[in-house]
Amino acid sequence: MRSNRQHTQPNTGQHTKHNSLLTTLVALSISMSHTSALASQALAAELGEMGSYTATPSAFYEAQESPVKQSQHAQNPAQSNTESDKDSNTKSDDWSDQEWGDDNQDQSPWRISGFTELAYGAFIDDHVTDNAQSISELRVRLDAAYSTDALTVNAKIDALADMLLNDNDYDVRELNIGFSPTAQTDVIAGRQVITWGTGDYLFLNDLFAKDWQSFFAGRDDAYLKAPNDALRVLHYAKSFTLDVVYAPEFHADNYIRGERFSFYSPVEQAVVAPSEFNVLDSDSEQYAMRLAATQNGIEYALYGYKGVWTTPMGSSVEPPFAGYSYFPSLNSYGASMRRPAFGGLFNTEVAVYNSLDDSQGDNPFVANDQIRFLLGYEREVIANTTASVQFYLEHTQDYQALKQAHNQTPMLASTPLIDQNRQVLTLRLTSRAMQQALTTTLFVFYSPTDQDAYIKPSISYRVNDNWQLATGANVFVGEQQVTFFGQHKANSNIWLRARYNF
Amino acid sequence: MKDILKNTVLLSAFVYFSATAQTMPVEQIIDKANLVSYYAADDGTTEARMMIVDQNGNKQMRQFRIYRKDISDRGAQKMLVVFSRPTDVKGTVFRVEKHVESDDNRWLYLPALDLVKRISAGDKRTSFVGSHFYYEDVSGRNPNDDTYELIATDESYYQIKGTPKDAGSVEFAYYQVKIDNSTFLPMEMIYFDQQGKAMRKMTVKKVAVIDGHPTVMHSRIEQLADGSYTEMQFRNVRYDQGLDDSLFSDRSYRNPPSQ
Repeated sequence: MRSNRQHTQPNTGQHTKHNSLLTTLVALSISMSHTSALASQALAAELGEMGSYTATPSAFYEAQESPVKQSQHAQNPAQSNTESDKDSNTKSDDWSDQEWGDDNQDQSPWRISGFTELAYGAFIDDHVTDNAQSISELRVRLDAAYSTDALTVNAKIDALADMLLNDNDYDVRELNIGFSPTAQTDVIAGRQVITWGTGDYLFLNDLFAKDWQSFFAGRDDAYLKAPNDALRVLHYAKSFTLDVVYAPEFHADNYIRGERFSFYSPVEQAVVAPSEFNVLDSDSEQYAMRLAATQNGIEYALYGYKGVWTTPMGSSVEPPFAGYSYFPSLNSYGASMRRPAFGGLFNTEVAVYNSLDDSQGDNPFVANDQIRFLLGYEREVIANTTASVQFYLEHTQDYQALKQAHNQTPMLASTPLIDQNRQVLTLRLTSRAMQQALTTTLFVFYSPTDQDAYIKPSISYRVNDNWQLATGANVFVGEQQVTFFGQHKANSNIWLRARYNF
Repeated sequence: MKDILKNTVLLSAFVYFSATAQTMPVEQIIDKANLVSYYAADDGTTEARMMIVDQNGNKQMRQFRIYRKDISDRGAQKMLVVFSRPTDVKGTVFRVEKHVESDDNRWLYLPALDLVKRISAGDKRTSFVGSHFYYEDVSGRNPNDDTYELIATDESYYQIKGTPKDAGSVEFAYYQVKIDNSTFLPMEMIYFDQQGKAMRKMTVKKVAVIDGHPTVMHSRIEQLADGSYTEMQFRNVRYDQGLDDSLFSDRSYRNPPSQ
């Protein structure tokens, strides 16, 4: 991996500019908060009038229960009164039926929700990028779903005012249609987020696009997965699930390439943050398959993938694109298992990567074949605190050939070779308090072979059903600036986010 | 004389009634309560909502639909919980395969990541989605985990004390439950700590009989130390819907039932 990351260069991606977007976003979020405040006032007024729930049974309950016999105690008026008195002595008498969601009364096939989020983050070390901030953005998400008996249309669209990259844009997270052509088949066609595999922040058989920039910047975990434009067919037969994904257009990871975070360049032999990154787009199709079954509480799955590496793991040496990074062909297959064990959960996964552009392993500019292996265990250690540990191994195949080729390439002379068996240990501690409103998490990646680490603490607080606050840090530690996490030392940052759900 | 006779008859009837009530073995009462509470009909669906209120009076809301199917009475069950409100949990699906002889299997589907997360069996006495109800309160505590003692009987209730066989597995020392002698629904449960101090109290506030099944329509759990509580209400309760097994599979994560 290291040998490829070295060749990561310029971003040629183009963005549409919407200069008035920021103004629109602010106006929109203000109007939404306003609407919501009005709604709560109206609700509060209604609640005040409604009085005790039990003393004033709603039309809904009368309709539901009138044809049926009431239980002995419910029939007894004295008993009922006692209960309703008990109600008024507590704080629970302000719960009216108006607070039920509208899915019963409102037969509209539309469902609309979303959020507004402000995120800010700053580097805590000597940063290499021009900006002192790692993130500074205002986002408005609109989540709309339309469903009938025959189909569902999902749209999740973010309007993003990115004050760091000075880039205002629309980011379509999901825009898909779902339907069931047979009684046991579901189809989802269009832009969608797809995740599989058993790893926690470690991906072996999941070769769907990831957004590493979001991960490093402290955006919500949901943004770690980038969307894919794909046709996904899920077929269910007894205890088996067959999941087939076809993506006609390749979706790369949103990898680290200088615009927001710096990385180590072997060419310059330094940590750099170029404003341009030369990469050759891939027009490869992608096919992914998963066959899963659960037997006696044990989950098994087989995986297959045909496409390209989702980060530019190759570097072109031939003119006219010498020095450009590219996405070499990749096929993979693997398996996973997850089961309860010793009061917790045990998981293991293996993936075999065939890097077709370098099948002999002797091209030092393209990633070799790999075997990836994972072992994990999770359990609650004390009440409301869960610990999980993972051991991850990335075994480079044809290592002698790589070593030889590497040593014979003067350009790579000062670049250390990746370990044949790169290992990573992870620890996650998650603690929940205050009725799970306060979640504290510590996630640590530590590589004994690279002698580097990535520490990811965070605290999130759910103020109420609308407001959420979160803060955290991404801290990279390493002796060398060439290793996987070590090269990101200058990217260490702290961040905070405030979100309003509507 | 006539009055005396009448009184005697009444008294005898009362004694006889009390005697029968008391002679019903406590295990049988618990068994009936378990069946009525968690195994009514062969399957069931309901809409539910919770209001979670902390010690400062701050409120949170959860709204969801529950689907349940029994594999056998007193035995295994399948359960699916689909959340619709609030926004940040909308589309979350909780799936349970309940077993009596072994640990339950539980999964949580998080739609934003398309992630199927498995929940370990050990933490069954942790909060169900931030409420004061535990996972175990929702899916039912295994009756074989406790020993029982009938402590009182009156005209309405059996009062039973339950003590966990494995004291280390739970946060309470024992509990007292009042079971309605006509419906066999537990109407009140109080959990006590080692010092005999009441910690947590569940109260049923409304019951309805639906398709012949006494059904809790409104209940409440209170954390007595700080006065925080959760109220849970149900509506649209339906039994014997002939729910298909496929509803309780992976399929319902991405394609949850709409009714």
